[in-house]
Amino acid sequence: MDKKILIFDASPIITLTMTGLLEEFKRLRDSSNVQFIITKEVHSEIVERPSQIKRFELEAIKAKDLISKGYLEFPEKVGVSDRAISELTKDVLNLSNKAFKANGKDIHLIDLGEASCLALSKILRDKGIENVTVIDERTTRMLCEAPEKLGDLLQKKLHSKITWDKKYFDDFDKIKIIRSAELMYLAYKKDLLRLKGKEVLEAVLYAVQFKGCSIPEEEIKEIVRKG
Amino acid sequence: MKEVEHIIDLLEKSRIAFEKSDSATLKELSDQTIHTSSIEQDPENATVAVIIYALSKVVERPDYRESPNWERFYKNILKETSHLILALKENNIKEIRTHLKLVRKSISDLSGNLKKNIEEVLRKAQVNKASKIYAHGLSREKTAKLLGVTSWELADYIGEKELEENKLGKTMDVRSRIKMAEEIFHG
Repeated sequence: MDKKILIFDASPIITLTMTGLLEEFKRLRDSSNVQFIITKEVHSEIVERPSQIKRFELEAIKAKDLISKGYLEFPEKVGVSDRAISELTKDVLNLSNKAFKANGKDIHLIDLGEASCLALSKILRDKGIENVTVIDERTTRMLCEAPEKLGDLLQKKLHSKITWDKKYFDDFDKIKIIRSAELMYLAYKKDLLRLKGKEVLEAVLYAVQFKGCSIPEEEIKEIVRKG
Repeated sequence: MKEVEHIIDLLEKSRIAFEKSDSATLKELSDQTIHTSSIEQDPENATVAVIIYALSKVVERPDYRESPNWERFYKNILKETSHLILALKENNIKEIRTHLKLVRKSISDLSGNLKKNIEEVLRKAQVNKASKIYAHGLSREKTAKLLGVTSWELADYIGEKELEENKLGKTMDVRSRIKMAEEIFHG
């Protein structure tokens, strides 16, 4: 059977942990043959850093537990070395952080964890492995799917002349991105939430939104209508 | 440190506003550093934004002034701000960093409830400034590192505050995104 992979940025793991939806996340993994992968850079964001802060130590332990029980795996499990990811991550950072300029100055938009997800997605695609990246935060998603809209957002917020160069985005637009909201929709459809009714779906979607999943209210309503 | 003259001006105005307990002006001055912090991504600049915002919250609380530690805290803030302005005028980056640390230290050297309260104000100020920089278009991880907070702290705050920005971030029809999710799971 062909491999299928979901690459997780730190943001959806944070969302699902903080909303108490990790059991549903585990059921989703158990119900499919899709492997859930995190890079070592994302591991640092979801385990190493929070484990040093008492306020988030419990969340770090929960994230670590997902790894020790095999719900989240590292790229070597699918034949990709950390070194290959690190090298391409540097290129991704270099490209993405040169793409937009404010008054002629580069704006460094994304960081290691996010860039490592984009790098891994490209490596897997080059190997012919079907993959989708799960990202709840807005900037990385916009960078891949609609850089012109990100340029508009930057211009509006920074009150500066923003320029961007299309040549930097050739590879990014091939990256497929979903959010924790779509994952929880699938969990609902597969009856993995173990609670029935559209009000449950709506409540779950608002819960993820309020913990940082970047999804507009109109999209929540549309998902609930689709049911 | 970038845009030094602008920061000196902000700090001088902030010092006066702190003396007058003028919270509204302090908040406004703090916001003026956000555009620069988003573009320049200079940690010192971001720290100045956090400190000014924290001071705006501190002066909103007259009860803090009843604390036995208040007088020492108040004098230290004014003294270190003056030293910081001087270091900026001399463009002495080592001294700038030292006095930024001393402003923070004047808080950690406090004791009792005032220390706890002001530490909490500072923590919330960091997250508040981070959320504003995130709203300016930087990624969550990038913003968190710049402000010295974790992505976990930001997630909670952003979720509450980001509702308007969410609309600006729409990049794909939601049904297409669901299809993408279904294809990887069932495809």
